[in-house]
Amino acid sequence: MTLQRFLLRRALMVIPLMIGVVFITFMLVRVGGLDPVGRLAGPTATQAEFDSIRENLGLDRPLWEQFGIYLGNVVRGDLGESWLSNRPVLTDIKERAIISLELLALGVGIGTLIGVPVGLRAAFRPNGRFDQLTRILSLLGFSIPTYWLGLVMIFVFFYLLGWAPPAIGRMSLLVSPPDTITGSYLIDGLLTANWQAAWSAATQLVLPVICLAIVSAAPILKQTRAIAIEVLASDTVRYAHACGLPEHIVRRVVLRNSAVPVLTFVGTEVTGLVGTMSLIEYVFAWGGLGQYGLNAIISGDFTAVQGYVLALALFSVLVFIAIDIVVHLIEPRSELS
Amino acid sequence: MNFIRKTLVASTALALATTAMTGMARAETMILASPQVPEGFDGDALKAHTQNVVTQVYENLIGYGRMEVNGQTVLNPNDLRGHLAESWTTSEDGKTWVFKLREGVLSPFGNELSAEDVVWGWNKSFDQKRTGNFIARVSNVASVEALSKYEVQFNLSEPSAIFLSALTLYVPGIYDTTEVKKHITAADPWALEWMQSNTAGYGAYHLESLRADDQAVFVANPNYFGGQPYYDRVIYKEIPSEASRVTLLKAGQVQWIDRPSMQKVVDMQADANVKVERATSRSVAAARMNPSCELLSDVRVRQAFNYGVDKDALNTAVFAGQADIAKSIVSPIITGSKQDYFPYDYDPEKAKALLAEAGYPDGISEPIELYYADEFWHQEPVAIQVADMLKKVGINIVPTRITASDMRARAAPAVQDMCFFTWEDGPIVLDAVYAMFLMTHSAGVSNRAKYSNPDLDAVIDAARQERDTDKRMALMDEAQKLWGADAPWILVTYPPTFEAMASNVSGWVYYPDEHERWRELKGN
Repeated sequence: MTLQRFLLRRALMVIPLMIGVVFITFMLVRVGGLDPVGRLAGPTATQAEFDSIRENLGLDRPLWEQFGIYLGNVVRGDLGESWLSNRPVLTDIKERAIISLELLALGVGIGTLIGVPVGLRAAFRPNGRFDQLTRILSLLGFSIPTYWLGLVMIFVFFYLLGWAPPAIGRMSLLVSPPDTITGSYLIDGLLTANWQAAWSAATQLVLPVICLAIVSAAPILKQTRAIAIEVLASDTVRYAHACGLPEHIVRRVVLRNSAVPVLTFVGTEVTGLVGTMSLIEYVFAWGGLGQYGLNAIISGDFTAVQGYVLALALFSVLVFIAIDIVVHLIEPRSELS
Repeated sequence: MNFIRKTLVASTALALATTAMTGMARAETMILASPQVPEGFDGDALKAHTQNVVTQVYENLIGYGRMEVNGQTVLNPNDLRGHLAESWTTSEDGKTWVFKLREGVLSPFGNELSAEDVVWGWNKSFDQKRTGNFIARVSNVASVEALSKYEVQFNLSEPSAIFLSALTLYVPGIYDTTEVKKHITAADPWALEWMQSNTAGYGAYHLESLRADDQAVFVANPNYFGGQPYYDRVIYKEIPSEASRVTLLKAGQVQWIDRPSMQKVVDMQADANVKVERATSRSVAAARMNPSCELLSDVRVRQAFNYGVDKDALNTAVFAGQADIAKSIVSPIITGSKQDYFPYDYDPEKAKALLAEAGYPDGISEPIELYYADEFWHQEPVAIQVADMLKKVGINIVPTRITASDMRARAAPAVQDMCFFTWEDGPIVLDAVYAMFLMTHSAGVSNRAKYSNPDLDAVIDAARQERDTDKRMALMDEAQKLWGADAPWILVTYPPTFEAMASNVSGWVYYPDEHERWRELKGN
């Protein structure tokens, strides 16, 4: 299958998937017991005001009708307005997506750069000292609650040691943000030669990125080790050993044969870490999509929750398509299907 | 500490540069860490954190005087003074009040306060039928009219003893209508869309910039009639995690954090870099019973619930022993509070006896859900403790968590379908009649559990119109007695209000809306 056909087919598959996501999210939010009318109406509202707000939001209509209207709006690219801030949800999501993507890319990128080589090395000498150590570290990475890890890092590196900046978001309060080009303060600072802003953004990124890197490195390390051990036991590698190939060549074979499953795993890890991101953003006051989603869920902002979940679903789909393409490029024999 | 040192050097340099550029003698910034940036700036439509900031922007005709109590400066609810109003007169029948406005009061936009501004703000509240309209209703204000540029008349449907106190509030607001009217449209005659992210008042501060989910920056009104405040800039920064807020305060990175939890208060009280101020609150923490639910319709059951809860143990376990036990729905900081009519000291045997009398000799095994949320930090621990204590007298309570927005919705006047839940409420006008009306009258908006006693309603209604102070207080005495006998709430404590600030910040005074006034704070 050609790449174009593959993309077209995936795009067609995405449509029913997205409709399903929209439907499930829409229904879950409404049957979840949240009622934003009380919050919007305020403490002094009468029954008439309740009814009026319910009518204005369209909540007095049958569920299927509400869903039809919402779906029609989504198809037109309108995710509605937040019931609390009155801002368009799509605008909010677009503004915050880049903020979270920057953090996610750096965190998972560093986590991968640590997890893959360490996992491979551990696999080459299973049960050796290095392997034992990495298993303990991996277990720790799995076990430590993200929220707690973030707080401890702030306490130690900011409060006790003074090495890190305060956890007050993406930019020091003493520095003006750079002109917006991409929405990432770091990139925009660099693009506009606003070095002070770029430096501030970079220093603010350090702790949350390390936190995310630790959380993401642990499963990548463990999975890479398991995959590499499997590949080491494969006929291909045993044949390479039998042929007397030098060790570094054999390792290259292992690396190449492990690449596809490791990459696939990293892809699933990226989508799986989106929930963790909410907690990291919360602790570091990051103001990204994760924090937005968490606030929306807590405050019962239906339209914002729906938009948030839809954005995450779309992001997951795009990540998996991208992985399929990259895997195909690494391993041309694999089918794009 | 290198980073902090560099930051301090940078901040000093920045401050000096700003001073040089603006030519000002001083440029002090206060950074306030809050769980959330305000979701709106319309005092009539309170959203999360709206009240925290509109109190800094919109000031009213009347203000409280001060008094010293135990070495602490507090508001004197019996000393009402002109604020934006210079003086006032009232008619014989107490139904017409004319206020002479202070002349030369300017907004940040340079427009002068006029009687038309006052009229516009009240008409806005009447039309929106929300918070301001409630204030108008309880203080019997029927209409407001401008007599001249500096004279405004309030027409009351009946005399009101709390009318002047109501004029201390930020709502109905007094807006710079010259500015606001630039933003009205046919579909939006009160510029509510504009007020979603802008302010225009005659107060000490106004909103300079807003970044959703990040920060709101307020700057001092350069024309403020009360003189320039110490902090000419306040950054209202969103820091969702309380642990992070506390760490930032301890490290000197922020000067103020929004209402800390008791656990954090105890932690910060031991830190030399943090000053923790305390005041007895005007509000009451309680577990409320809904008499319209069959089980709780029997007063003996409600009294048994009260006898079954050890309030001293609750204070120790939940409030670290720092709260005052509540013995009246009216806080002791309000004149007229009587702590004698709530006789339900811990007595498990009496609780069992009352239950038996009500037809439950073996206790109540049917599970009763005790709802709580995280609107107030103490809701959950109080719910758990109360459930545990009531189990010991044979009542099967199941603490059940719901979201804060859900709880607000279910406790709203139009719904009120929870039988048993924890909550905190209090009056923002320091007046016993207002407090009783708000929380116990069948039309009170903070009467969130369908409590209704026609005799009590009649006493409160009489007190609302009574202008003689002694007679009002006598009526309040009777009202508290009636309410105490009905025992519709398990009164717990008056949760103290704690404010945590940098150790060099001074000038804090407790306000009944529980929000500090930035204009009164100093940083030295």
